Amino acid sequence: MKKSIGILTLSLIILTLACNRKEAEEELAIDNPELPLSIPKGFPPLNEAFYKNKPTKYGVELGEKLFHEKRLSGNNTISCASCHQQSKAFTDNQAQAIGIYNRVGLRNTPPIQNLAFIKHYNWDGNKRQLETQPLVPIITHEEMNSSIVEVMSKLKVEKDYQILFRKAFGDPEITPDRIYRSIAQYEYTLISANSKYDKVKRNEGIHFSDTELQGYQLFQAKCASCHSGELFTDQSFRNIGFPINPSTEEAGRGRVTGIREDYMRFRVPSLRNIAYTAPYGSFGQFKTLEEVLDYFDKGVLHANNLDPILTENGNRIPMTPKEKSDIISFLHTLSDETFITPR
Amino acid sequence: MKNLTNILFASALSVALISCDKSDPSANNVTLHFNNTFKDKTIVLGDANSTQASINTSAAGQTHQFSELKYVISNIRLVKTDGQEIPYNINDLDKGATVIDHSKASTLSYVLSNIPAADYKQLKFGLGVKPELNTLDEVRFPNFYNTAGKNDTKMMWEWGTGYRFTKIEGFYDTDKKKLSIHTGSTLDGKRENQATYVPGVDAYRDITLTLPEVVLVGKASTVIYVKADFDKLLSGTTNTITLRSGTGPDDNATPNIHTADGMVQFVDNLGGNGKSNQSGMFSITHVKN
Repeated sequence: MKKSIGILTLSLIILTLACNRKEAEEELAIDNPELPLSIPKGFPPLNEAFYKNKPTKYGVELGEKLFHEKRLSGNNTISCASCHQQSKAFTDNQAQAIGIYNRVGLRNTPPIQNLAFIKHYNWDGNKRQLETQPLVPIITHEEMNSSIVEVMSKLKVEKDYQILFRKAFGDPEITPDRIYRSIAQYEYTLISANSKYDKVKRNEGIHFSDTELQGYQLFQAKCASCHSGELFTDQSFRNIGFPINPSTEEAGRGRVTGIREDYMRFRVPSLRNIAYTAPYGSFGQFKTLEEVLDYFDKGVLHANNLDPILTENGNRIPMTPKEKSDIISFLHTLSDETFITPR
Repeated sequence: MKNLTNILFASALSVALISCDKSDPSANNVTLHFNNTFKDKTIVLGDANSTQASINTSAAGQTHQFSELKYVISNIRLVKTDGQEIPYNINDLDKGATVIDHSKASTLSYVLSNIPAADYKQLKFGLGVKPELNTLDEVRFPNFYNTAGKNDTKMMWEWGTGYRFTKIEGFYDTDKKKLSIHTGSTLDGKRENQATYVPGVDAYRDITLTLPEVVLVGKASTVIYVKADFDKLLSGTTNTITLRSGTGPDDNATPNIHTADGMVQFVDNLGGNGKSNQSGMFSITHVKN
C-alpha cells in the first residue's frame, strides 16, 4: 500500500514536470525577433537607452496598442494618441495639450518622431530615456490622471494583453517596466526620413523648386545655427525671446536644472514635419509659420540669457517678405507624407 | 515523562515571554512628535481672511501666514550612545517614511516600533526622499504613494516623477499676496553617466539632531519632541529671503520657485545646506523617557 502511494506520488511529480516542460517549450517557441530599423543617413547617433531596449516584433505591437489605449487614463477617455495623432506628425494642433476632462496642459504637444536619435526629451529635457517618460502623462492631473497600478489592473483582465505581454516578454505578467519599455519600443520605430528634402538629398530624381532652393539657402544662412543637422536641431537649450507662458509653473529648462542661466530656455525643436504641427512655440504662441518668422523679423523679447545669436543681431532675424515665403516653401519640403499615413 | 516535563516547561516559558511582551508592547516604541512653529508658537493655519491664523514677520519685514503646510520625513536613523546607527526601514517608504500634514493632528506623531533596547544620543532623518527612492514607484511603495499623491496631499511632481518634499501654501505682505512654495528634487541619473544624467536640483536634506538627553529605549515608550520652526523659511541660517510675486526668474513667491535657483534657498533654510548646517529649521525641544 505504502509503495503504491509512493509510485503514485512519483508519477504525479513526473506528470507535473512534463506539463511544466511543455509550457516552457511553448514559451520558448514564441518567435519574437528584433525589428531591423533602417537608420537614415546622417542622423545623429542612437540614444544609448535604445541598445538596452531594442524594438522587437511583439514589443512594438504591444507598444502600439498601449499607445492607443484609452484605459491608460483615469476615466478611459485619453490615450497617448489623443494628443499624439499620427496625421499631425503625432501632435494635436492645439496650442496647449488638452487632457482628461478637457484640462489644459502647460505646454504644446511635441511631435513623436525620430525619438531614437534624440538625447533630451520634452521641451525642457527632463527625461533622457524614453522608457522613463510614459509614467508622466499617466499620472499627470491635466493629462491622464491615473496611476500605474490602476492601469495594470485594467489591462490585466484583458485576454488580448495577456497574450501580447507573453509574446513580447515571455510570460503574461504585466509590469510597469514592460508597459514603459514596449511603448518606447514602438516610439523608436517612428522614424521620419522620407520627405521631399530627403528624396532630393538621396538623389532620387526629385529636385527642389526655385523657391524651395532659395529657401534652403536662406535657411542655412539664418536658421541652421540652431536647427542644424539632419534632424534640424542641435538639441541644445536656448532662450530665443519668445512670448512667455504666463503660468508660474513655467521656467523652461530652468525648471529642471534650477540654474538661472536656463530660465526660459527650451530645447530647439526638430523642424521635420513642421508644416503638420501648428501651432508653434512651447505653449502654441504662434498659429502659423508666417507668424513665427514675422516675430523673428520684428524682434524678440529681451532677456538676460537671450541667445547670443539674437543679441548680436539686435534681438532679431531680419527677413524680407520674399525671404520668409521662400523659407516656408523649404520648410514644407520637410513634410513626410508616408510618416503621417497609418501603416 | 521527562519529555512531557520539558514540553510543559517550554510552553510555560513561552507563555511567560509572550505575556511579558503583552505587558508593555510599546517599550521599544519611539514616537517622533513634530511641532510646527513660527519661532516658539505652534502655527495656526488659515486662509487670507482668517483672524486665527498665525502671522509671522520675516527678517526682511514681510508678514506671512500659511493655509497649508506639509513635508516628507524619511530615512530615519537613531544613533546609540556608542555611535552605532540604527536605521529605521530606510529603504522602505511604506514602513519608514511619512507625510507630516499640519492640518491633521494624527500625522504629527510618527511611531517607530521595534527599536532595539539601548541608549540613544542622536536622531537623524531626511527632509524629503533620497534620490534612489524618489521615483514614484507605486508598485513598490503603494502606501506611501497613496499617502503622498492620491488623496488631498498632492505631494507629487508628476513631470519630475518624484515627490514634493515640502508644500507650503499661504499669503504674504499686508495685501495678502499668494505664497506657494514647493520643494522637490529634479535631478535624475548619475553624473558619471552623461547619456542618462538629468542635471537638476537635489532638494533632499539629511538632518542630524543631537538629543538634549539620552533616550532610553526598552523600558517604556519614549517620545522625541521635534520642533520645525518655519520662521526659518524666510529667515534662515543660510539665506534671508524676500518674497516677490510675478513670473520672472527672481520672483519666488509662487510655484515658479520650484523651477529656479530660488528653490534651493528655501531648501537650505528648511533642511540646512548639508555642509555647515545640518539641522535647518529642526531642533529637539525635549524628550520623554
